[in-house]
Amino acid sequence: MALTRREFTVATLAGLAATSGMTLAVRAQGTKTIAVLFDGLYSEFWVAGIQIIREDLKKRGFEIMEAISDQDDNKQFEQVRAAIARKVDGIIIVQTDSNAVIPAIKAANDAKIPMVHFNRPPAKTDAFSVAIQADNQKIARDAVTYACEVAKQSGKKHKAAILIGDLGDPNAIQRRDGFEEAVAQFADTIEVVAKIPTEWNADTAFAGLTNALQANPDISFLFTSSDFLIPQIQQALKSADKWHKVGEDGHVIFTGFDGFPDAYALMKDGYMDACGVQNLFYETELAIQAILDLQEGKEVDRLLLDPGFAITQANMEEKAPEMWGYVLWKEKNPG
Amino acid sequence: MSPSASTDTPAAPADRPRALRLAKLLLSEYFVLVLCVVYVAAIYPFVPEILTWQVASNILGDMMPLLVVAIGQTFVLIIAGIDLSITAIISMAAVVGASVMTGTNGYLSGSAVAVPAAILAMLAVGVAVGAINGLSVVRLNMPSFIVTLATRMFFAGLAIWYVTFHSTSSSIADLPASFTAFATGSVLGVPYTVALAFAIGVAAHVLLSRTQFGRWVYAVGANPAAARISGVPVGRTIMLTFLISGACASVAAMMYASRMQTGSPIAGENILLDVIGAVVIGGTSLFGGKGKIVWTVFGVLFLLLIDTSMKLLGSSLFMIYIIKGGVILLAATVDTFRHHLLVNR
Repeated sequence: MALTRREFTVATLAGLAATSGMTLAVRAQGTKTIAVLFDGLYSEFWVAGIQIIREDLKKRGFEIMEAISDQDDNKQFEQVRAAIARKVDGIIIVQTDSNAVIPAIKAANDAKIPMVHFNRPPAKTDAFSVAIQADNQKIARDAVTYACEVAKQSGKKHKAAILIGDLGDPNAIQRRDGFEEAVAQFADTIEVVAKIPTEWNADTAFAGLTNALQANPDISFLFTSSDFLIPQIQQALKSADKWHKVGEDGHVIFTGFDGFPDAYALMKDGYMDACGVQNLFYETELAIQAILDLQEGKEVDRLLLDPGFAITQANMEEKAPEMWGYVLWKEKNPG
Repeated sequence: MSPSASTDTPAAPADRPRALRLAKLLLSEYFVLVLCVVYVAAIYPFVPEILTWQVASNILGDMMPLLVVAIGQTFVLIIAGIDLSITAIISMAAVVGASVMTGTNGYLSGSAVAVPAAILAMLAVGVAVGAINGLSVVRLNMPSFIVTLATRMFFAGLAIWYVTFHSTSSSIADLPASFTAFATGSVLGVPYTVALAFAIGVAAHVLLSRTQFGRWVYAVGANPAAARISGVPVGRTIMLTFLISGACASVAAMMYASRMQTGSPIAGENILLDVIGAVVIGGTSLFGGKGKIVWTVFGVLFLLLIDTSMKLLGSSLFMIYIIKGGVILLAATVDTFRHHLLVNR
């Protein structure tokens, strides 16, 4: 048994030493470091977000300490404490739960390290941090209002469904509220028959939408709180024989949110009527500038809003260049 | 015989004590602790922060909930069972306790007994799930793997559903300051969580090594049929180990909820591999009949050292998973070889 134990020890230490060497290679000394802590890279929005932040920080000469918590609040808290122990100069964080992040903000405050929440604000707290957030409610309201006008012009009554995000995420709540404000103005045309909780989970969304379409086969108006659910929506609508272009019989008036490359492609191909767009480039700029301002001791508001915009079939040509999804789509589809 | 064959002769008498000492060290129950020291020495040039008071304090804080759950799991593994429901117990206990004491529409919101009642409710959840697990294994003769997998799924789902009735968001916040102080406060410089985990560890150690119940646990794990013939109450022993595991998971839920100041239905969701891994790394056998609380302490410490140092290095979560998974796999493989050797002897 002694030999086996020794093999175990040697293998463990060799593996760890090799990994330490690899990670050490990317760790430089003497420059300012920003911790970028995301809760996951579950969609193109977050992948694009961390990529833009990474490139911007590198351009400005910062080192980056990156970590993903895999939607584990406790793990993320430990990552914040590790960043504090590394004496980073700022923390950009995307938390899973708006309540559970509060101890992390307090820890950063105690260590006098500025913390900026990217795209998701924390719950109300005495602890100080800055949140960058899209004006979700207004963006959703504008996009859905366009879709409601399209519905009204059709002269028919429409049954509507909404795919709602995780209710622990204020963004999800605000998008839902924006949708409800818009449809409330068109009560004579739109009747909401299905509010489908997704918990930001693609499988849950697919099952929920499939069930809703079976229970209400005449659904003809759909809003998704995030474009990352587009593949599941497309599959569910195809299965229900409801995947048709604008102007075709059986077209479901479809509104998205986020501004994914897929959303742009669907707009271009005529399957999507409108999409609320978060200005990812602007949000990244706001986040990094907030860290820099806080480091210099300047006063920064607790909430910095990205006004975003709604891209529709009517303004697509004019607005597309501002849409991050269009920029990524264009890179993949040059010419 | 050729001259080179002389290299195959046994070690010279002078070398024997040194070889013996090394063998003793490798077989020592403090081996994993030695491994921790060696690891810290190896990683120090890359992460000098690992030896700062702040990081040591972080490791200690991160260790406590994991240690308490791992102590409960040690009992179950010694009887050759497994408890996969611990993460669901943590989630369920956290949201039930939070719903009792939260300042926002809690059942006992603002009451002086809110916190004690919430603690009792959390313990009750752990003991109740432990009782379901234990009864299913003992009375229905079901494998603990299937039973606890089923209760894990059931209570993980129930915890999320429960929150929808008690909060407009996905977690229950606004917990009383007297409860959240449990994670941040200390007595005579010792954090409350450390003091509680230490007390639980000592109690568990005494229970396993100094009582008749402890001897029953080892006997049931080594050979349940022989234990039954020898008069050991096998059913009662198995039942008690699952109750202990459930109660320990409840205590961990208190630690997580007070630390995050939130009752979350996904609290502890990702720690299952860490818990079982830490116990196995410590040396407790997956085949039952062998294990000690002190080994579990060292296993948890070793896993936390890897985890913390990788975080300090800025390694990706995926890299940390790969390394931890590799170490746990190695430990489990060593355990399997050891078991086969003992069986074939």
